[in-house]
Amino acid sequence: MQRRSVLKNLAMTIGGLVSLPAWASGWTPDSLGSISTLSVDNETLLADIVDTFIPETTTPGAKSLNVHKFAMRMINDCYGEAAQTTLLQGLALADTTAQQTYNKPFSAGDATQRMDVLTKVSASADPTGKAFVDMVKKLTIQGYMNSEYYLVNVEKFNMAPGFYHGCVPVPKLAVNGSK
Amino acid sequence: MSFLTIDSVKDRTFDAIVVGSGISGGWAAKELTGKGLRTLVLERGRDVKHITDYPTTMMQPWEFAHLGQLSKEYIDANPVASRCYANREDATHFFVKDAEHPYVQEKPFDWIRGYHVGGKSLMWARGTQRWSDYDFDGPARDGFAVDWPIRYADIAPWYSYVEKFAGISGNKDGLSTLPDGEFLPPHEQSCVEKHFTDQMAKRYNGTRPVIIGRCAHLTKPQPIHYQQGRTQCQNRSLCQRGCPYGGYFSSNSSTLPWAAKTGKMTLRPDSVVHSIIYDEKLGKASGVRVVDAHTKEMTEYYAKIIFLNAACLNTNLVLLNSKSSRFPNGLGNDNGLLGKYVAFHNFRTTISAEHEGFQDTTTEGIRPNGSYIPRFRNVAKQETDFLRGYAAGFGSSRATSVDTSAMGEDLKTSLMQPKYGNWRVSSHMMGETIPKESNYVALDSALTDAWGVPQLKISVGYDDNDEKMIADFHEQMTEMLTVSGFTNIKTHDKPDKAPGLDIHEMGGVRMGRDPKTSMLNKWNQLHTCKNVFVTDGACMTSTSTQNPSLTFMAITARAADHAVKEMKKGLL
Repeated sequence: MQRRSVLKNLAMTIGGLVSLPAWASGWTPDSLGSISTLSVDNETLLADIVDTFIPETTTPGAKSLNVHKFAMRMINDCYGEAAQTTLLQGLALADTTAQQTYNKPFSAGDATQRMDVLTKVSASADPTGKAFVDMVKKLTIQGYMNSEYYLVNVEKFNMAPGFYHGCVPVPKLAVNGSK
Repeated sequence: MSFLTIDSVKDRTFDAIVVGSGISGGWAAKELTGKGLRTLVLERGRDVKHITDYPTTMMQPWEFAHLGQLSKEYIDANPVASRCYANREDATHFFVKDAEHPYVQEKPFDWIRGYHVGGKSLMWARGTQRWSDYDFDGPARDGFAVDWPIRYADIAPWYSYVEKFAGISGNKDGLSTLPDGEFLPPHEQSCVEKHFTDQMAKRYNGTRPVIIGRCAHLTKPQPIHYQQGRTQCQNRSLCQRGCPYGGYFSSNSSTLPWAAKTGKMTLRPDSVVHSIIYDEKLGKASGVRVVDAHTKEMTEYYAKIIFLNAACLNTNLVLLNSKSSRFPNGLGNDNGLLGKYVAFHNFRTTISAEHEGFQDTTTEGIRPNGSYIPRFRNVAKQETDFLRGYAAGFGSSRATSVDTSAMGEDLKTSLMQPKYGNWRVSSHMMGETIPKESNYVALDSALTDAWGVPQLKISVGYDDNDEKMIADFHEQMTEMLTVSGFTNIKTHDKPDKAPGLDIHEMGGVRMGRDPKTSMLNKWNQLHTCKNVFVTDGACMTSTSTQNPSLTFMAITARAADHAVKEMKKGLL
């Protein structure tokens, strides 16, 4: 609702020239729609894989932020057919590797076992394994770091009002290695 | 047309017609209506109302399905449009689709177009640097094209005039190469940009200044801007979506609403101008032929004067297609020069570097602008084996990175703790290209578009002068960065990057002193059809190195002033 009040203020500031458009009150955070390009089982498996990369702790993990849906959509819409094939083959490889190593499906493993499976998939003789792990890990990190949760709480993203300062001190902590 | 009544002709008759509603068309509309002329503004594309028709403008980054990236389907269907840096997931609705508006590339040319009210003024990069006499003198001194019929003194008051209304931020730098204007407060340079500025001043004795760019952002709005319904730029840097604050200048936020307020403007979107009507008896233009974008029906509109502001290449197209028995080769084209001597800005290469110092500093927030290096090559005299020179944009940021090697909780922890890397800088070249007869546009003899208008054939390419300039940019910038303590210096020339992506195409209907060697006089009137004015990029005799839009605005306001004075004297 914050931006609606910004727009209202703007409309008041500058008088009659500005009309409030319909979309100013017409959106919801879910307005992206849903997409599933995978079977239910595969979607669950992908969700467990992204959550293995970035697990739920005291803060949300990749699964609860729906990063797997973001990854599916990117692979489907932006990456092309080869990547879609890599995704399907990689998911199958993750489950067969889990079965071979721990005698259970990937999703039934604990965090340590799942990480071990993904490490093994990445090192597998089949080059699809590494391509799959690299692609999904990259998308997991990208999706997580561009999620509403991360941008608002970690990056403190605020669309407006903005500002620019060209030369500010870096906090001491950051000089020693972290922001 | 057979059912037209006299009244209908009267309804379709105006004092002035403006073809195009982009940066220069918007200015023509504002100036002509402001001087009391009933003005018809024709726009080939759909209407885009300020704020209401900016559907993505307030969307948060996470509301986009693809983080701003274009889909593969879109890229495959629109190879040209998708190459434009500003065409992102939040702005595709402002770029024409390749298949809907075909053209013929005799040589590769990425023609970036915005067909809607406001044109490319919605998606432009907003750099607004004045020309100086070093630029207007160029063709005469260096012996190319023809002499400009105007000089800086002719245009300077008009720069001031448009700057005050549009709202231009900048610093008064006192440079002869880049005259100061009517500035709102400047954006700030970063620590490393300031360092580069200082080093250049010391090491090149003030001959290679680095300044903060001048740009069309309201850093401190004035009463004239509030009157337009615009307010403070919010530093969002989401300009390609259209700005609900009117924080940057566009036709939609500024000139068109201003013209509308006079009650004298009729804005007609979805109106594809086919050609200008030449009246043989009167010896001047009497109106334009318009094809309705949806019904494809042709209608004529009439006026005493016509401003052609269709954007550079489309202005060429309209004139080429305006054939009559008096002008069988296109309106005003007795000398055969129409469509020739098209030039652009060479944006093919960039250079990047790092600085290992200033580790305890960074920037905060977002700046919709960058630093700027005015042309320093061949300024006072010829000093290289190529003609003219280049300006350059210069930007910097403190890089941050995260360690992504781990998995699980360790990865999550490291993502929460981005580490600062070195300062990174990059600079892009904006090279002057030399207008040549062999760089031209023409009508295709067979192909037409969906509105029955011949397709434009574009034959514009780089030449040896451009290649030498790229090499010099690499050499000089490498030296400048090296002496300023930068490391990891890398050049990034993209020889396959076609002209056009600069979106600075100019010429084809050049100004000049002599009707034998130019198309337009010093007031932007066609030499041989004086009630037709061309004041967009097509009028440019040479390109110099500055972002050209500010000059189009000033030239338009100046020409409109002259047009109305001449009309009042009964001369048009």
